[in-house]
Amino acid sequence: MSGNDEENQSKGFKILGILDVQKTPCAREAFLYGAGGSAAAGLLHFLATSRVKRSFDVGFAGFIVTTLGSWFYCRFNNAKLRIQQRLIQEGIKNKVVYEGTVLDPTKKPNAETPSGPT
Amino acid sequence: MAQYTQLGLQDAASPLMEELLHFHDHALMIITLISAFVLYIILTMVTAKTTDKYILDSQEVEIIWTVLPAIILVLIALPSLRILYLLDEINDPHLTIKAMGHQWYWSYEYTDYEDLGFDSYMVPTQDLTPGQFRLLEADHRMVIPVESPIRVLVSAEDVLHSWAVPSLGVKMDAVPGRLNQVAFVASRPGVFFGQCSEICGANHSFMPIVVEAVPLEHFENWSSLMLEDA
Repeated sequence: MSGNDEENQSKGFKILGILDVQKTPCAREAFLYGAGGSAAAGLLHFLATSRVKRSFDVGFAGFIVTTLGSWFYCRFNNAKLRIQQRLIQEGIKNKVVYEGTVLDPTKKPNAETPSGPT
Repeated sequence: MAQYTQLGLQDAASPLMEELLHFHDHALMIITLISAFVLYIILTMVTAKTTDKYILDSQEVEIIWTVLPAIILVLIALPSLRILYLLDEINDPHLTIKAMGHQWYWSYEYTDYEDLGFDSYMVPTQDLTPGQFRLLEADHRMVIPVESPIRVLVSAEDVLHSWAVPSLGVKMDAVPGRLNQVAFVASRPGVFFGQCSEICGANHSFMPIVVEAVPLEHFENWSSLMLEDA
């Protein structure tokens, strides 16, 4: 029943109240990588320069760049997989429909045997 | 159908709606990052101890905040335009159905092969059986074959209505005296709900649309049964 389904599903977590990272593909990974990238960039900058405020700025820039990079990379791969999935589905459908006919894609063309006097 | 307190889009039931969902996620990620950036700027400015009263201009930052938004807009516009033109494609539909809006019900006509037509009224709340959805169920569903391109010609008999099914990514105004065309493919079997989306009088909220996508064999059986009942 719908009530049990709602209990079983985990409640989505919305970044800034707008982007549900649990239900949006690639969002969770993008933000996690972004957090890691932000921490790494900020920390490295601080260790190199000992400037706190500038390190925060660099950390935030690292967050944006890492999040966007991870997001586009993941979405691109997902899009490629989706296209491959559609091609496979079309191929299976065509195989079923055209099996045994002239248009069968798996049928190898037979070499023509020349007719001659026996 | 939408769940209670649902803010996001419904699960896609057609390839077009899938594309719209993906674009929505893409745009929302960009918006979220821009909002996070603005929030960070606000926090930085609020916590800054120094103020510079003598800044007149800064070429570098002005170039950045002109070029970067232009790039972001291009990143949003390109997939948006792609989907816009995808929505207008009509690829050899297998079936054409006419959806006519009335006050306050829809009527559907399947006239490709036989003369089949029926009205679709909302099931009143007091007549619902357990498990049915309030204000969404209709007595006769628009049944379509799954994975077949369908063309729906939308019009109205009296006032403006709008034929909308969110999970199929379809919305088209029903204008009296005008035929509007919309095409879609139901990529999975199921029941998909929508509601009239143009104010049309007292019972505008009580004329739902129910589309049922079934395998072709079931669609043929259904249409034979409907013709016999007619």
